[in-house]
Amino acid sequence: MKEKEENNIEIWDDLVEIKDLVKALIICIITTFSGYFMAPKDSYKPLLFGLFGAITGFIVSCIIIKPKRKFIQEK
Amino acid sequence: MGISVFIQMIIAATAAAVVYTLIGATPGADETATIAPITLILILTGLEPVVILTFFMSAIVASKLIDAVPISVAGIPAGVMSTPMVEHAQVLKKEGLADVSIRKIASGAIIGNLVSVPISLLLANVLVPVANVIKDYGNIVFFIGAILLALISKHRLISLATILPFALLIQGLRTLYWEIGNVKPETNVTTSFFLAITIGPAILSLFELLNKEKRRAMKTHQIKEIGLKKEIKMEGLPNHFKILTKKEIGYSAVASLLGSIVFILSPVGLTIFFGELFAGRVKDPIKKAAIAVTCMEALAQATYISGILIPLIALGVPLSPVAIGPGNHLFNAEPVFNLKYNMHHALSMGDFIEATIFGVGIASIFTYFIAVKYSRSICMFVIKKVPHEAILGLFLSLVLLLAYIDGGLVNIAGVILIGVVAGVLHRLGVNYGVLFMILYSAPWLVSVIK
Repeated sequence: MKEKEENNIEIWDDLVEIKDLVKALIICIITTFSGYFMAPKDSYKPLLFGLFGAITGFIVSCIIIKPKRKFIQEK
Repeated sequence: MGISVFIQMIIAATAAAVVYTLIGATPGADETATIAPITLILILTGLEPVVILTFFMSAIVASKLIDAVPISVAGIPAGVMSTPMVEHAQVLKKEGLADVSIRKIASGAIIGNLVSVPISLLLANVLVPVANVIKDYGNIVFFIGAILLALISKHRLISLATILPFALLIQGLRTLYWEIGNVKPETNVTTSFFLAITIGPAILSLFELLNKEKRRAMKTHQIKEIGLKKEIKMEGLPNHFKILTKKEIGYSAVASLLGSIVFILSPVGLTIFFGELFAGRVKDPIKKAAIAVTCMEALAQATYISGILIPLIALGVPLSPVAIGPGNHLFNAEPVFNLKYNMHHALSMGDFIEATIFGVGIASIFTYFIAVKYSRSICMFVIKKVPHEAILGLFLSLVLLLAYIDGGLVNIAGVILIGVVAGVLHRLGVNYGVLFMILYSAPWLVSVIK
């Protein structure tokens, strides 16, 4: 358990693990840009598909990565 | 106005309130990154301008108001604007007053709206005759704003010393993009630079990770512990005039009034300055924290509303941090809007008033209710299910996408460069407000100092 904790780093006021962070970044960037480039090339569609891609990446990351925060029940 | 437009406005306001209440509750979800692209999409779909403005007003109110939840319950900032509030909200949380904190912040937001909507409409009308003068001097005002925010910030000297070099970096990149043909001449890349500054500290940390020694030093044994009370007592819809003391109502109303008048200054800089100014006069730490969060939220709402309404109604050019940032597409969204024909020209005064009342009204009521009633479930969900990695991934990929759209592949490197520099400056004590004002005044500044 302890070894795992040592891999945590703090970015932007919260903890992340480097491996998970790299995973999330790669997933989100790939889904976002594939959405953008695969969309029909007219008017707002590339942006819309790009946003959908970003949200998809976010959801996938949420499913495969566990938050590092520790939750305590206060009385 | 036809009945169909009327129905569309209600749907737009409700949709924005629901969506941005969800997005806003996620820590780190910045308004510019989340509101600007969706507004652009709506404009390009050809919806009625008045419906889009309703959506926009509702979105900014909802996403700011719901900030109350992550700040008060988990002590996590919900975006750049709410960072200064966290420290004060933590004081209340330690005393077991998270529920009070949420209510105070949410009520502060309502006061901010109640004050800034009429003031902005009024001020906009007063400014219409002198609009051309303001447009001519706008860039100088941005520069004065940068100096002013630097002077009133905690780290004066470094903030002042930053102004010229950072302006040079911004304008240098813009000129480069014109030169290599990625961006049309005279078009200032702004949205992605704005986001680069916002995400600066995170980009800097990511860069540090690439250095082996730094990486080793950054690893921590610490575990972020977030405590939540079993139950946060909240019943029904409280009357916000009872939640706030007379002093809090007075201070936050005055703060909102001042914030609306100086709409041209950065909301982030103002929030820090006025918040600390008003709270600094109170001795008791709990009362001080309560006044600080209330005033800061009221100000955040007020500067947002005035920052979008006044330039839209009176000027027709984006001449405020909000109009340049999240609201930019209301002025500039080729091929629908450009600086010669945009929402300023498309809407009548009546349209502006209706869109504002619907947007602000519906979002205020809906989000206030959600914040007060479901704050605990929202926080539990975020704490347990949403990893910080996913938030960083989402935010960074959005920034990179918008960077690519703004200026091509080279702008991705540009945004990273600005992010690293902004991150270092931020760490050295230059606050976001100053950096944003430099971004806005850069074109004028560089044209003058050559």
